[in-house]
Amino acid sequence: MDEVVAEYIRRTVLKIPRDEIRTMLQQWGFLSEAQLQTINFCQIKENISQHVVQLCEENAARIKQAAVLDIIYNHIYSNKRLWSVYQMNKTGEETDFFDLTDFKKKFKRRLRSALTNVTINFREYEDNAIWIRIAWGTPYTKPNQYKTSYVVYHSQTPYVFISVSVLKSNLPLLCQALVAASNSHDIREMELRSHSLNSLKDIVFKRYSQNFQSYYPKPLQETNVAPESDLRIIQENKNEKERIKIINSEVFGDGPQPKLEFAQYKLETMFKSDPQMNVLDRKEPFRCLVKFSSPHLLESLKSLAPAGIADAPVSPLLTCIPHKARNYFKIKDKKYVSSISFVSP
Amino acid sequence: VFAHLEMLEARAREADMKEEEAKQQEEKLARLKARVQQLTRQRDELQAKVDLQQKGQLGKEGVTSDPAQPSTQAVLEWKIKRVKDMLQVFCLTGISGKLTEQGVCFCISTAYDGTYLDSYYLDLLTKPEVRILRHSIPTFIPLEQLAKKYLQTDIRRFLSVLSNHLNAYAARRYQADQLQEHFSDQIEGTLQTNSLCNLLVFNYYVSNKSKTFPFNVRLLYGDLCSSIPTEVTVSCT
Repeated sequence: MDEVVAEYIRRTVLKIPRDEIRTMLQQWGFLSEAQLQTINFCQIKENISQHVVQLCEENAARIKQAAVLDIIYNHIYSNKRLWSVYQMNKTGEETDFFDLTDFKKKFKRRLRSALTNVTINFREYEDNAIWIRIAWGTPYTKPNQYKTSYVVYHSQTPYVFISVSVLKSNLPLLCQALVAASNSHDIREMELRSHSLNSLKDIVFKRYSQNFQSYYPKPLQETNVAPESDLRIIQENKNEKERIKIINSEVFGDGPQPKLEFAQYKLETMFKSDPQMNVLDRKEPFRCLVKFSSPHLLESLKSLAPAGIADAPVSPLLTCIPHKARNYFKIKDKKYVSSISFVSP
Repeated sequence: VFAHLEMLEARAREADMKEEEAKQQEEKLARLKARVQQLTRQRDELQAKVDLQQKGQLGKEGVTSDPAQPSTQAVLEWKIKRVKDMLQVFCLTGISGKLTEQGVCFCISTAYDGTYLDSYYLDLLTKPEVRILRHSIPTFIPLEQLAKKYLQTDIRRFLSVLSNHLNAYAARRYQADQLQEHFSDQIEGTLQTNSLCNLLVFNYYVSNKSKTFPFNVRLLYGDLCSSIPTEVTVSCT
């Protein structure tokens, strides 16, 4: 077995938390159950990884199998990477049957024609997600297995999720290969980024909770009736609280929000001040960058009004994030109305 | 000895003072509790008076037309309930809508073989022209194409075609899931499909006496509005 492969497998196993190693190796399926039985998973990880490498040596593992283990790790710990969403435009109107083998062939051929030194691996998951792992080399060196990019693509959708890797220069190549393989026209980056891949999928596939008005009978939800603590305590602002709750529910929906970590607003608006103050009388836009960050931005925005920190309804600049599927905005003045800019209230 | 006695005296005085303080606080607490109870009683009395006055006013009107009023009230309530139930029943037909401030919100429900599946929503604006505000329709359904073709001209046709697409997709997916669930022992591995579920490929075994024959099946659903395949290829591998 190649030393590079051995070292790569060893390092990948070291990344996995100790409790998860057994399940991940089982999912990998490269080592037999009998072989897995021989490993002592209670020893220190250094020893576990050495033992795994030994067993892989017995089975003559090659880079292809090692790459699959890496994909499995990144699929489970996808929140360790930052994902960007790209959108592709289709050429014609004909129905797309999406042949998986055809897609893989076209992708590999296009990418390899531009750069021969790449390792490409695919893995399909039950939710129709196709994971592509690419290890980049240069025209003169072999692929570096530690410089990888990951692409997640759902068939027959225009969206691709790419995890930005260190080598940004290879991004155009990757995009070209995706466009060719999916029979599309072109590809553009959407202004939507997050560590939570599933949340990004929820936003673009419109799986997040939106509150639609309908007569459809809603299933009875178990309302957690908080036990009346003291009948003598009366909520004076009950009406106001109810109103805020209803407005909030209309805007954000009732279910859990997709997980985003930040929203960035680039202001290119004119500074509005008292004319007597004479600030910035040169009539130049006041450049300013506002960034909101949070472990779970949308949930915190949802709780602003009930907590009394902001008025309900919350500003549409904040609440439009899932609907517009972006968390990077450019705000310009009313004069320059374009499709991506906003009118600031 | 003197110092010791002084110390003891000081301690005794401190203890006394503390006892006094504690007693004072308890008294204060008792007084406040009594005050709270008094105020609550007052408030309840005033509330009762207000309620009584309101009822009294209503009572004056009700007394004159007492036999007639309850029945009209009851009839109105029954009518409202009936309309609400009708609206809920409409949702079972598959396409239902509700007028909103800016337009109308449609709910398209899907079903197959007696089982109700997912519902999808479409929020439309009606002024200045009919436009889609937001929706929960999956991205692989060609919504934009259908909207371009039919939304402005014939909204009924638009909804009907969209409903066909969604129902067919839901039916295909349901069939694929059921196949996987009920025949998992005869199918090798998992079904290979795509987002729209219009291409299904799988391998299965047919055993005859002692021999098993592996087959490969490829189902192609050419018509997106249909849940029946247009092309079937069965080959023995």
